[in-house]
Amino acid sequence: MKVLAAGVVPLLLVLHWKHGAGSPLPITPVNATCATRHPCHSNLMNQIRNQLAQLNGSANALFILYYTAQGEPFPNNLDKLCGPNVTDFPPFHANGTEKTRLVELYRIIAYLGASLGNITRDQKVLNPNALSLHSKLNATADILRGLLSNVLCRLCNKYHVAHVDVAYGPDTSGKDVFQKKKLGCQLLGKYKQVIAVVAQAF
Amino acid sequence: MALSSVSQTAFLLALLSLRTYQSEVLSEPLPSAPEFLKVSVNSTCQCLHLQWTVHNLSHHQEFRMVFQIEISRIKTSNVIWVENYTTTVKWNQVLHWSWESKLPLECAKHFIRMRSAVDTAKTPGPRVWSSWSSWEEADVQNSLGQDPLFVFPKDKLVEEGSNVTICYVSKSHQNNISCYLEGVRMQGEQLDPNVSVFNLNHVAFIRETGTNIYCKPGQGDRIKGTVLFVSKVLKEPKDFSCETQDLTTLNCTWDPGSDTGLLKQLSQSYALFESFSGKKTLCKHKSWCLWQVAPESQDMYNFTLTAENYLRKRSVHLLFNLTHRVHPMAPFNVLFKNVSATNATMTWKVHSIGKYHTLLCQVELYGEGKVTQHNVSVKVDGAHLFSGLEPDMEYMAQVRCANGDHFWKWSEWTQQNFTTAEAAPSEAPDVWRNVKTVQGRCVVTLFWKPLSKLQAHGKILFYNIVVDYLDRTSVSELLSIPAPANGTELPLSQCSSQIRIMANNSVGTSPASVIVVSREPGNEEVEEERVKGTEDGFPLSWKPQPRHVTGYLVEWCEHPQDPPCDLQWKNLGPNVTSTVVSSDAFRPGVRYNFRIYGISTERVPYLLARKTGYSQELAPSDNPQVVMTNLTSHSFTLSWKNYSTESQPSFIQGYHIYLKSKAGWCHSGSEKAVLSDDAAVCCKYKIDNPEQKTFVVENLQPESFYEFLVTPYTSVGEGPHDAFAKVTTPDEYSPTLIRIILPMVFCILLIMITCYLKSQWMKEKCYPDIPDPYKSSVLSLIKSKENPHLTIMNIKDCVPDSIEVLNKQEGTRKSLTETESTKPTYLYLLPTEKRYSSPGPCICFENFTYNQAASDSASCGHVPAPPKAPPSQLGLLTSPENLLKALEKNYMNSLGEIPAGETSLNYVSQLASPMSGDKSNLPINPPEPALCSEYKMQMAIPLGLASPPSSGSSSLSSVTLLDEGEHYH
Repeated sequence: MKVLAAGVVPLLLVLHWKHGAGSPLPITPVNATCATRHPCHSNLMNQIRNQLAQLNGSANALFILYYTAQGEPFPNNLDKLCGPNVTDFPPFHANGTEKTRLVELYRIIAYLGASLGNITRDQKVLNPNALSLHSKLNATADILRGLLSNVLCRLCNKYHVAHVDVAYGPDTSGKDVFQKKKLGCQLLGKYKQVIAVVAQAF
Repeated sequence: MALSSVSQTAFLLALLSLRTYQSEVLSEPLPSAPEFLKVSVNSTCQCLHLQWTVHNLSHHQEFRMVFQIEISRIKTSNVIWVENYTTTVKWNQVLHWSWESKLPLECAKHFIRMRSAVDTAKTPGPRVWSSWSSWEEADVQNSLGQDPLFVFPKDKLVEEGSNVTICYVSKSHQNNISCYLEGVRMQGEQLDPNVSVFNLNHVAFIRETGTNIYCKPGQGDRIKGTVLFVSKVLKEPKDFSCETQDLTTLNCTWDPGSDTGLLKQLSQSYALFESFSGKKTLCKHKSWCLWQVAPESQDMYNFTLTAENYLRKRSVHLLFNLTHRVHPMAPFNVLFKNVSATNATMTWKVHSIGKYHTLLCQVELYGEGKVTQHNVSVKVDGAHLFSGLEPDMEYMAQVRCANGDHFWKWSEWTQQNFTTAEAAPSEAPDVWRNVKTVQGRCVVTLFWKPLSKLQAHGKILFYNIVVDYLDRTSVSELLSIPAPANGTELPLSQCSSQIRIMANNSVGTSPASVIVVSREPGNEEVEEERVKGTEDGFPLSWKPQPRHVTGYLVEWCEHPQDPPCDLQWKNLGPNVTSTVVSSDAFRPGVRYNFRIYGISTERVPYLLARKTGYSQELAPSDNPQVVMTNLTSHSFTLSWKNYSTESQPSFIQGYHIYLKSKAGWCHSGSEKAVLSDDAAVCCKYKIDNPEQKTFVVENLQPESFYEFLVTPYTSVGEGPHDAFAKVTTPDEYSPTLIRIILPMVFCILLIMITCYLKSQWMKEKCYPDIPDPYKSSVLSLIKSKENPHLTIMNIKDCVPDSIEVLNKQEGTRKSLTETESTKPTYLYLLPTEKRYSSPGPCICFENFTYNQAASDSASCGHVPAPPKAPPSQLGLLTSPENLLKALEKNYMNSLGEIPAGETSLNYVSQLASPMSGDKSNLPINPPEPALCSEYKMQMAIPLGLASPPSSGSSSLSSVTLLDEGEHYH
């Protein structure tokens, strides 16, 4: 909740402050220093596109691996247990400017990274023998980290955006086991759906 | 007395004090009902937790009290549990009590109340209960949240085989909610309008990650579920045992059984407790644990091994004396000393188990295909002497030890190999020979079998051969053949000799094997007998010999078809008269020959019997190559002399000759047979003698087609009925005809050759290129027979005809030739190539075929060809047909070029009258040939244009169709 509050409050401020309410763009003063830790790659957008394509290519396999490992009723009730009903998932507008799309992508990656971390942690306990699932989750998280870094580089270098407010999904550590399985399934279903749109948009 | 009075006083004082205490207790007011009763719910264990206090207790008071607790479900009147809880209560003490509910507490409201009483168990009489406390309510449903559906309990852990109650709580008042366990629908009962419960009996372990239970409403897409963790039942550890190797550490082991670890429960843990010392240790491993033996001399140990998980605890006990559980470590430093050909000493060391203990060690020796075992008592170092060993033999020795005072377990084996030293070979080699005579000298081929390892006593390096000639006239010979040879060939100076063969290794020489070669040849006339092989081999027997023999020997070749034949032999004792020869090399369908020798006391072998046979006879695979001779119209002879009966896969008993004919009937001496291959009927002749290899097939029909086959037959069948040879008997009269026709043909040929050689002469005589009428006898023959007045025309008598070419000058168009053709031109027609220079007698005619240029030629043979005609066309004109064609062609040309009437070619016939014909066409200045006949003017036209003349100019000429005869008349 603290995280949510930390992310939502500045966002609300931004929405009211910036001309054109509803735009999720953050405000970074033009003269603000925007320094990245490492020099950005010369062909950043290509890298971002490739990473998105890679994620899009593996999202369905990850989804299938996940719900199969959870056992019945998950594989046979995907619509009811794994539907993409993630209410707080960051939005994405494919027809926005590149800057807007990059900012939204940044939020999505941040959200997904945190959620995948929860899922990976839970599945290591709930399904310790599902090694291929663990491997796929780890691989996806690795790509997300790289993508996050590249998107930040692009935002910083080209648009001088040094900071983007992000929100994260619910923490599943206090949930019961069935609820953990279900939330994870829903998140991966949403991820599969969103990443296809995002990859297409870039 | 004093003592008695003191005792009585003390008893009275004690009795008084007891009475005082009782009166005090009984005089105290009874405790009131429990107060401040608080109820809390623990959803994890589905427990109701109660806490309360008891008032009216003075500061120092302490009572043993009973609290009666009542629990109701849904409504207070529905009491589901009553329990008396007894405890000691102190002043101001908060009391606790828990109750685990079978039904998930979220599924129904629960009500709790209690009352108390002083525990009067020690004193008879009914209890006096306080009044009941007020009902306390435990309702979890109110705090569930806003979801429309809940399933309880959450993540419950139970043991396999236990009973579990599941429930769902629906806040949407839906009745058509169905619940499933691993996809199988569960049947439940409704507890209230919003709650249904499902009783699962004897739940089974499905997987370590839990069993999914879920409920879904008939409408909507919300599925709610829970995971039930079913643990395997923790079993008692099996085979719990402790032992020590060094009396300082105990190693306790057990069989843990199945793992009960789950997501919600760790694997079971093990703890070791020793009751005499009171020590306890938590084991790090699932199946074994180390216990440090106390430095003080504790002999007896009483262990309790406890296995524990979240749900259960199991224990086993073990009582033992430490010295009775000694499991020594394996011996070490095993060595062999003083290893000779037959003896070796083995030494080893053991780990000490205290100076008061003796170890019992067991020594085993493996070698020569057997095992020997010995027991040795050892304190620190052990030793054992192995004797009676075989030279040059590898042995494996092993040793293990146990506590000699109180046997518990043997240690592990410690192994070591050793090899004894070599010794001289103990046995003479098994030798046999083959004697042959080459250019008058005896040549002996010796064969011997390598000594077995037990006989050789080391590596055989060479074989010594000593030849002693029996007549003492020659010096003995000594040969040394290096190993691993198993034979050699010796040319002997004299046949009568004694040969000794000895094997040598690095230590010494074996005894000699003696074999004597006799001057006399063996008894080669022994008749060969047949023997039938069996699965076990060839059973061979022979008659016992009247004279003394030292033994018998059977000789055979294992590969008789492949030289060298791999000579084998078998030595037998003097009392043996039968044996079975077996070998893995024996093959079905191969003939094996056995020779049985008796060995005399002088070591001279002599042939006793010859046997031959097959381990298994096979039907012949090939038929003889048959040659047919003496073919007549009634018989032919078959011969297969190259067919070897010895090399066949079975004993040949004879032959069958099959003869197929269209007639289908068989003569005497044969019988009808139906071949199984093609069901053909044929005649079968039988030959019983395998050595008879010719056969005459008789009584055949001339000019008939026959097929025949010769096949051997044996006891296991006959040869293949494959390709039949074909033969057709000749005609009966053809030999006579041949005797006539051949001379005739010869004669004709002779004549033809003669004619050819004299062809020039014949040509001159019969058909010369230029017949000479004077020389022709044929002419004279005709003359004499048909017309005796016929004479041969002399060329000088011929008056040549002349052709007059007339050119009319009134036409305006003139050809080149016309300008010079103002006078008549004569063509001389010559019958042959011969030209006559003189313009004497000739035949001339005017021919429309020839143009103006041609008419200028003075000679008939030199008629110029028309401009467009090839030169050869002139030659063609000599033929009537060709001439006609040429006429057609040139006529067509001339019609276009030459106007009719301008130029004309007139035949002047010698036979026609000058006055005949149309007078207007007569030449103005006619030539005056002296002797020429006048021809009637003619014009040659093609057949198609032959029509009556219509114009005036052309009407002057008579039109005549040229035919074959008109050309040359």
